[in-house]
Amino acid sequence: MKQSVLAFVGALLELRGVFYNASMSTPILATKLYLPPPRSKVVLRPRLIERLNEGLSAGRPPGVTLVSAPAGFGKTTLISEWVSARLKDEGGGMKEEDNLHPSTVAWLSLDEGDNDPSRFLTYLISAMQTIVPKIGERLLGGLQSPQPPPIETILTTLLNEITTIADNFILVLDDYHVVDSQPVDQALVFLVEHLPPQMQLVIASREDPPLPLARLRVRGQLTELRATDLRFTPAEAAEFLNRVMGLTLSAEAIAALEQRTEGWIAGLQLAALALSGTTATPGQGETTRFIESFTGSHHFVLDYLLEEVLQKQPETIQSFLLSTAILDRLCGPLCDAIVLDPGVPGQATLEYLEHANLFIVPLDNERQWYRYHRLFADLLRQRLRQAILDVAAHHLRASQWYDANGYMTEAFHHAIAAKDLARAADVAERAWPSMEGTFQTAAWLGWIKQLPEEVIRTRPLLGMQIGRAFSDAGEPETSERYLQDAERGLIDAADLAAFKPLPGTIALIRAYNAQVQGNVADTLKYAELAAQLIPEDDIYRRAQAAITLNFTHWVTGNLEAARRALEDWMTSMTRLGNHVFVVASAFAVADILIEQGRLREARQTYEQALQLAAKAGPEAEAITAHHQLGLALLQHELDNAEAFVQHWQQAADLGRQTTLVDWPYRWQVAQARVKASMGDFDVALDLLDEAQRVYVKNPVPDLRPVAALKTQVYLRQGRLSQAQAWVCECGLSVDDEPSYLHEFEYLTLARVLLAEPGVNALLTRLLRAAEAQNRTGSMLEILVTQALASRAQGNTPAALATLEHALTLAEPEGYVRIFVDEGEPMRLLLERMKAEGGKMKEYIHRLLAASGARQDIHPSSFIPQPLLVPLSPRELEVLRLIAQGLSNQEIADRLFLAVSTVKGYTRTIFDKLQVQRRTEAVARARELGLL
Amino acid sequence: MSHPSDSSQPVVYEIRIAGHLSSQWSEWFAGLTVTLDADGTTWLSGPVIDQAALYGLLKKVRDTGLTLIAVNQISSKQEHP
Repeated sequence: MKQSVLAFVGALLELRGVFYNASMSTPILATKLYLPPPRSKVVLRPRLIERLNEGLSAGRPPGVTLVSAPAGFGKTTLISEWVSARLKDEGGGMKEEDNLHPSTVAWLSLDEGDNDPSRFLTYLISAMQTIVPKIGERLLGGLQSPQPPPIETILTTLLNEITTIADNFILVLDDYHVVDSQPVDQALVFLVEHLPPQMQLVIASREDPPLPLARLRVRGQLTELRATDLRFTPAEAAEFLNRVMGLTLSAEAIAALEQRTEGWIAGLQLAALALSGTTATPGQGETTRFIESFTGSHHFVLDYLLEEVLQKQPETIQSFLLSTAILDRLCGPLCDAIVLDPGVPGQATLEYLEHANLFIVPLDNERQWYRYHRLFADLLRQRLRQAILDVAAHHLRASQWYDANGYMTEAFHHAIAAKDLARAADVAERAWPSMEGTFQTAAWLGWIKQLPEEVIRTRPLLGMQIGRAFSDAGEPETSERYLQDAERGLIDAADLAAFKPLPGTIALIRAYNAQVQGNVADTLKYAELAAQLIPEDDIYRRAQAAITLNFTHWVTGNLEAARRALEDWMTSMTRLGNHVFVVASAFAVADILIEQGRLREARQTYEQALQLAAKAGPEAEAITAHHQLGLALLQHELDNAEAFVQHWQQAADLGRQTTLVDWPYRWQVAQARVKASMGDFDVALDLLDEAQRVYVKNPVPDLRPVAALKTQVYLRQGRLSQAQAWVCECGLSVDDEPSYLHEFEYLTLARVLLAEPGVNALLTRLLRAAEAQNRTGSMLEILVTQALASRAQGNTPAALATLEHALTLAEPEGYVRIFVDEGEPMRLLLERMKAEGGKMKEYIHRLLAASGARQDIHPSSFIPQPLLVPLSPRELEVLRLIAQGLSNQEIADRLFLAVSTVKGYTRTIFDKLQVQRRTEAVARARELGLL
Repeated sequence: MSHPSDSSQPVVYEIRIAGHLSSQWSEWFAGLTVTLDADGTTWLSGPVIDQAALYGLLKKVRDTGLTLIAVNQISSKQEHP
């Protein structure tokens, strides 16, 4: 159970996410999730709507709808018209031919920020939550952690939740072309390959996404609309120019425009704008001149048209467009702050632009936020560079407005664009606490990369924050470099009072870095320094210092001190009202109690935590999979089958929803342990391999490495050569001075080398260390190993004495599995004790009954009975020569041994294989896979 | 570590797009030279630092709604036609 204590460190890191999530929510840009409101006047495109509906029609498997075309082909407009119409249909009546009636639509407009897979998944889940409010809620917590779970794990959980949605729905990913990141592309592929039946995925993009499109086409799962489909037909162009844009053009003029623009909608719109403009109804002659010059020109159509359109606008509007082109999103007050011209009020101008079809897209129904059509914005920005003015001053004003309104990301980027580095650094400093709190450390470090070192060096606060960020990111060396910068900056700082908390925080970060690097001495040094420097009333930071001290105690095996520190921590967290922390800390306390051999207290601790979690709410309940698993393993140890099954089932259910990253690993290892108990060794080995695969690195070394766990299973199977291969690789020796951190590995080593010299001394040293620290759980494991070693060495009296010691310690707490799982050798020892009629008759009887039960469940006819005591390498060598038909004399010659020695080996081999004859020995060895 | 010596040198590329583009686009395309061809196409040419920069340029072509006709690498000695 040691690995679960260790995992607590990882869990604690996690919990900082839970802690912050409980107190503040992740900032989500709601405008990314809005279905663009339908326009008042559009060209109805029934032929395309029909094609889109076909993708949802009866008899077709749900799948992917891909709308793939360059900029300006009306992709977003078409999709938003289509889904809005479906939503309206839903109110009236459903189309009968549909087997899907998507009553709901989730919309996600992607942007460059979504190249970060965590952010992409956060928005994906948020988009889904617009349909099903609570969906993926627990996953969001995991995504905010410094080491988010693997993308596939998150998606699998999300997809499982999606399959429980009753209604069919459409998920739209707009502007997918901005994604330029393999992890996000892989996430999309995974999503498409595991598409739940109730979901239709709609992707709009300027380039084909990296999906297996050919396969989807063959399977009839792909509905495609491409540029040739989207371009306006002559009839659509006529409707657009004359009805939507309010022109009165002749059929020839329309045909000319349609031909010149090749039905490209953005081009037609610009042409129409150029034609409307100053004169309300352009004279036929003017129109003809325009169309002639337009078609005759070799200028790039768009370039030319934009010029025309801008010229037609009043100068104030021209300058408004150019000034605001630097913005990704616009709202009235923001435009006012940038344009600084009371004659052009922001809100009214935005509404005018929308009315004039000037490539502006409302982002919400309140007409608060807008953005320019991306193509138009690109062109305007290109103009801006040549046209005006002081672009930097515009960016500076944008930065100031965003800053004042709490949009720190935009404030930072505009400060950088304005080349105002001091301002950018200032924004970064002020943004840090909430960015760290919502686990946007990676994004924040992305900002920092844009700041030159000279700027950072003059700012001790920023230096400390960067140190902290790199520490969180698992880069202690880089972290230390910035901490030193911060300290140097402190020496030169004029106003020391402002930086008063810095030294304490720097010490805290150093303690954490030392812990990650496994440097116990430095961890203690800096944690104690931090505890001195941080004022009494700063409960949260003081508790962080305390918890670091506690873990250092624990890594050195000083469990009682570690547990006390944890309980202090829980007291202060209770004072802060943070029950999630208390619940999480409780399972670590319980795990330590188990290490101390105090099973009853451990059980109480788990159960109290579960009661507290039930009261504390879903965030606390989400992490109780660990408690249920702890209780299940505890009941397994006590051999209470019913209670075990009950907790195990709950752990499995909760585990599917848990957000803690170490869960998959713990779950696999626990399953392996139970399977090994049942004698399913091959399954146990597979589970351990899987455990290794899902293992997420955390700051403290793993106390029970998978390799050692596997070795113990090999021993139970009698596969000595595999076990010995581990001995060669592990680099441990029986002569080492063992530490608590490697106790389990040394015990494994002792089991492999059971009868070799040095093993007894090693076990004695391990026992002494465990006794000195009152670790009864460890003592039991060591005593059991000692008893088996003595038996293997033929010293039955010593084996029985050691076993009696173990039983005396184990009886009050009711241990069963620790003995029974040892199989036949232990059973024989227990029988012997029973026969000798000593103390604890009842307990021994119970253990023997449990051993019997195990054999009944797993008839040996299915699994070859493993060797009770494995063959030594020399015995194996002799056995192989026996199998080749060599006589004792021939074997003796071959191995340069005396015949009597060979006979001795042969006898031992026969004993271990429980056979009488050489032929039987060979047959049995083959059966066990030894030959 | 020995890389071919020319791998760090910018390579000259020419990108051919449909339509005539005015010379003010030169800056938009990271300083490439804009040359108008008599056949109604435009050549953008100049040194491109690496593959990432080249893809960045192609994305700009895509995002500006231009029609891409050809991309050629030309050796540094050979002059653009």
